[in-house]
Amino acid sequence: MGLVGWARASSPWILHFNTGACNACDIEVVAALTPRFDIERFGVIKVGSPRHADVLIVTGPVTRESRDRLIRIYQQMPEPKFVMAVGACAISGGIFAGCYNVCGGAANVLPKVDVVVPGCPPKPEAIIDGLAMLLKKVRGGR
Amino acid sequence: MVWEMLFSIFIFPGYAFLLAMAFFLEWLDRKVLAKVQDRYGPLTVGPAGILQPLADFIKLLSKEDIVPTGASRAVLTLGPILLVALPLTALFFIPMDSRRALVSFEGSLVAILFILVITAILVFLIGWASANVFAAEGAMRSALQMLSYEIPLALTALCPALVAGSLCVSAIYERQARGGAPFMTFLPPLGVISFVLFLFCTLAELERLPFDAPEAETEIVAGWMTELTGRRLALIKLGRDLEFLLLAGLTASLYLGDPWSYCSSWLAPISFVLKTLACAILMSFIRGLMARLRIDQTLRIFWTYTIPLSLGLLLATTLALLFLH
Repeated sequence: MGLVGWARASSPWILHFNTGACNACDIEVVAALTPRFDIERFGVIKVGSPRHADVLIVTGPVTRESRDRLIRIYQQMPEPKFVMAVGACAISGGIFAGCYNVCGGAANVLPKVDVVVPGCPPKPEAIIDGLAMLLKKVRGGR
Repeated sequence: MVWEMLFSIFIFPGYAFLLAMAFFLEWLDRKVLAKVQDRYGPLTVGPAGILQPLADFIKLLSKEDIVPTGASRAVLTLGPILLVALPLTALFFIPMDSRRALVSFEGSLVAILFILVITAILVFLIGWASANVFAAEGAMRSALQMLSYEIPLALTALCPALVAGSLCVSAIYERQARGGAPFMTFLPPLGVISFVLFLFCTLAELERLPFDAPEAETEIVAGWMTELTGRRLALIKLGRDLEFLLLAGLTASLYLGDPWSYCSSWLAPISFVLKTLACAILMSFIRGLMARLRIDQTLRIFWTYTIPLSLGLLLATTLALLFLH
């Protein structure tokens, strides 16, 4: 897997972007960072700047209002970058799919989504599981 | 002789030791913070997560390098390199393995304080040259903060220098070691006040928690570091760790001189490392306990309390010395 692969899989810095979620997924994502679940064990740091991030965590259906911002944030991240869609809405639009103001899930807007975590909202355990899947993918090469 | 020289420059207490210590301090910092918050902190990378800072560093080195349009490429390249090189230089002035530092001359304390000012100015330049609103805001805050902590830091550091009668860090350390006092050789209350004040200013210098307004990630993205990616960010993170090590080591050698390290040469490095770690753990602990101050609150605290207090301390030390001799 090599030194660089090891380093990349050992320090995934996340950026959390809410594209129009009801806040339930956001609470669960934040819960994964809090003492009970503490994903810093795997080297995760929640960063504020897209320039520092490796993993973009998208929650919520992509609304037409947030579409351009999501794309811009994705473009601002340095390669190699990964996207995690957390929650039913971020996967397909969820119950909001087909609304006049919703473009669907993150995969409809971004070039790729590496891991999806289903649930409404997914539990923090599920988010950690999704992260572990993503890290396995990172470790095995892109 | 030559081999000994090369060993001390590159291995101990030179580059290899300093870099290892810097990474170790970052790991320790994160672990202490996690303990305060009832978490585990880094756990899976290496034994107890000890390789976490190294993994972060290598990962950042391998990331894409972006320089935004309108940003100054020269400043964004030179700045991070200097931010590593300057603290590394200053660390050579600190006595680590024996009574004498690797580079020891009259005035090395002033040189260290000078280097600290230069790093603060570099931080401002990097933020300003990033061509980003948030980075500029962070840069302004960091410049304002520098105006507030730099004066009391220098004044407080002068107190042990006055007592030792020398501006050389090695000489100050030696004076305390020979004085036989475990904490500070001059009047204990003054020593304690000076130590606390120095630590207080050190937190502002390192932009650590009560004073981390320049990189407040909940308000201004990542402050002056907002636009930095890849190698530049890796170097800056390393530079911050080295600065942390520098200030912890400086606190240890200015205030925590102990007679044991003077008796035997093999005890000296152990004692130095233990004292530095104690200072670092204290700073990490404070970071876990505090909330962030606004920049105007920082300025008010420093200009209304800390600067008069440090001036008074300097006066009291001078008077005490006059009456004692």
